[in-house]
Amino acid sequence: MIQSAPLFGVLAAAALLSACGGRAKDTGTVLTFSGSALGAEGTLVARQLRRFMQLNPGVRVELQRTPDDANQRHQLYVQWLNARVGNPDILQLDVVWTPEFAAAGWVLPLDRYAPTKPDFFPATIQANTWAGKLYALPWFADVGLLYRRTDLVPREPQSLAELVTQAKTATARAGGPRHGIVWQGARYEGLITTFVEYLGAFGGRILDENGRVVVNHDEGVRALEFMRDQLYGSRIAPLDVLTWHEEEGRFAFQNGTAVFMRNWPYAFGAMSDTAQSRVAGRYAVSPMPSSGERGGRSTATLGGGQLAINAYTESPDAAYKLIAYLTAPEQMLERAQAVGQYPTRPGLYEDSRLRTALAIPLGQAKRAIESATPRPVTPIYTELSDILQIELHRALVRHAEPREALNTAAARIEALIERTGMRRLMTGASDSSTARPAGSIQ
Amino acid sequence: MRAEARLGWMLVAPALGVIALIAIFPLGWTFWESLHLHELRMPWLGKPFVGADNYVEIARDPRFWSALGHTAFFTFVSISLELLIGLFLALAMNRAFRGRGLVRAAVLVPWAIPTVVAALLWRFIFESQGGIANELLVNVGILDQPIVWFIKTWTAWIPVILADVWKTTPFVALLLLAGLQNIDLTLYEAAAVDGANPWWQLRHITLPLLKPAILVTLIFRTLDGFRVFDLIYVLTGGGPGTTTEPVALYTFNALLQNLRFGYGSALSVVIFAITFGIALLYVKGLGIRLAGDER
Repeated sequence: MIQSAPLFGVLAAAALLSACGGRAKDTGTVLTFSGSALGAEGTLVARQLRRFMQLNPGVRVELQRTPDDANQRHQLYVQWLNARVGNPDILQLDVVWTPEFAAAGWVLPLDRYAPTKPDFFPATIQANTWAGKLYALPWFADVGLLYRRTDLVPREPQSLAELVTQAKTATARAGGPRHGIVWQGARYEGLITTFVEYLGAFGGRILDENGRVVVNHDEGVRALEFMRDQLYGSRIAPLDVLTWHEEEGRFAFQNGTAVFMRNWPYAFGAMSDTAQSRVAGRYAVSPMPSSGERGGRSTATLGGGQLAINAYTESPDAAYKLIAYLTAPEQMLERAQAVGQYPTRPGLYEDSRLRTALAIPLGQAKRAIESATPRPVTPIYTELSDILQIELHRALVRHAEPREALNTAAARIEALIERTGMRRLMTGASDSSTARPAGSIQ
Repeated sequence: MRAEARLGWMLVAPALGVIALIAIFPLGWTFWESLHLHELRMPWLGKPFVGADNYVEIARDPRFWSALGHTAFFTFVSISLELLIGLFLALAMNRAFRGRGLVRAAVLVPWAIPTVVAALLWRFIFESQGGIANELLVNVGILDQPIVWFIKTWTAWIPVILADVWKTTPFVALLLLAGLQNIDLTLYEAAAVDGANPWWQLRHITLPLLKPAILVTLIFRTLDGFRVFDLIYVLTGGGPGTTTEPVALYTFNALLQNLRFGYGSALSVVIFAITFGIALLYVKGLGIRLAGDER
């Protein structure tokens, strides 16, 4: 560990060298696209890049393999960009990275290419906007969904209270499942995605539109109390969820031991296989319901992939052309068909070809994406999330009371904002984007 | 004589050069880095020289102090158990019996398994309410009902310490066994002639003569214990909350997750200083020569 800093230097130097060597000598433009070369995703990307080259004879696109694991990819990108390496020209960003890369000056604003923003779901545009400028185009969307067993709970819950009642009734029935609901409760990013949905349901936010920390306001406390009540009060959620990630929850649900589950869209397809799943054909999805309290709204955490231009690229125009091509309706549709990822264009949800491509009924999918809410759009998101994960987990394992835990989190996030000079950056950001609707930062 | 000394220096020069390159240079660089504010993710902050600011932040950070406490706790408990069980195993293996060679090799198996793999195995044993550990303890009657091990601090420590003891005791046993084999058997014969019972022989012959081996083991294990990372990373991730987080995991988090190079480097320097101090303390404080007896 002590040797990490010099190691970084060596890595950066190696990356620089390979960047210099990678450029072809011919006159045409050479672009590198960062992505996976594995499985269906690899085949799909290779096919789309090949088609793009046929349409643009002057441009050659090379695939630069980057790790599929988001944390590893992020770390690699940050090291390359610190060394001002122009490769890969096109970066594949997780939804929570865009503000960080934008504030660091590592990706180019796309406004001068005038992309048609209204063609995309508003939440996906908002997540990629920093200081009033758009820095990445949404490539595919991921949203948090409430899965429910239709044979046990035919009616979609209209409020959180109804969800609890339905869960209790279904588990109390003879032969009913053991657990009412399962979610991601281990101390990792998944816990934040779960929390954001309950927080929205109670009308709370993590940061307000001026970048002030409001997670410890009454709404936040009530949301966290509600989560805790599921574990120790109504006991509809098993304590195991405090160590669970997505897959543990899915296994429980597909084995028929849970009535409800909070998970991402991938689970829908994964659980339709009758060889592995005991619940195939007996579940449906909806967005997490609102608490029914004033200001509460049905909320689904937004995830997904974005494409952005490396600020150190030699050919930004060609890079944008490729991004525009990959995020065009035809390619998104093909992506949905090949790997089941959701298009970020509402228009496509009217397309009958999408119906056969996605495992989830289109109406349910669209409604969920319309409830999609980005996590805090801020360059310091990762550290903010780290702080919040710890405090939420402390409250959920009953090492601290919800209000106390959230107050600690708020104080630490404030200190983080102070330390990183974020206050100035944030006011700058909200000044130049007054057109945004209220509540957009959350 | 002079020429001989020069030749000597020339001969060790390559080795010294390698040490300087791979040990002293990175250490110096890390220390220099620790005097700067350097956040890889926030290039707008620049990379200003901040003197001891990072160290002040560490001193004021409750998470660091509790991490230090967790590390000390883990090191103390696991090493005590390992020494005790390891000594017992070594004494047993030191006896002449059929298949001794085979037993000595077999005992090393847990040590040969990569820590991450071992940790995953132990996680699997303790993970779910229907896991092996719960089944076993409920069947035997120690537990009334299955528990979730990783959501209470003290129950989360159990798999961590068990896994470490399981994995490292063989190593400790072999080190101690090597020490035992160096003890002159005639001493025991003489003691027996003088009427010393086995307990007395253990206290007054075996343990004093085993002291160098015990010391080597202690140094190795304490330093390892203070740098514990992979085991806890896989088993508890430092949770619940951060109540099982050791300093190495906290440093990893600051340095490689949050990419705070300045602060993370300062943490690395602090860990280095602590482990170095411990090693010095053992060597000086216990007053034992590591490399052979000079007569």
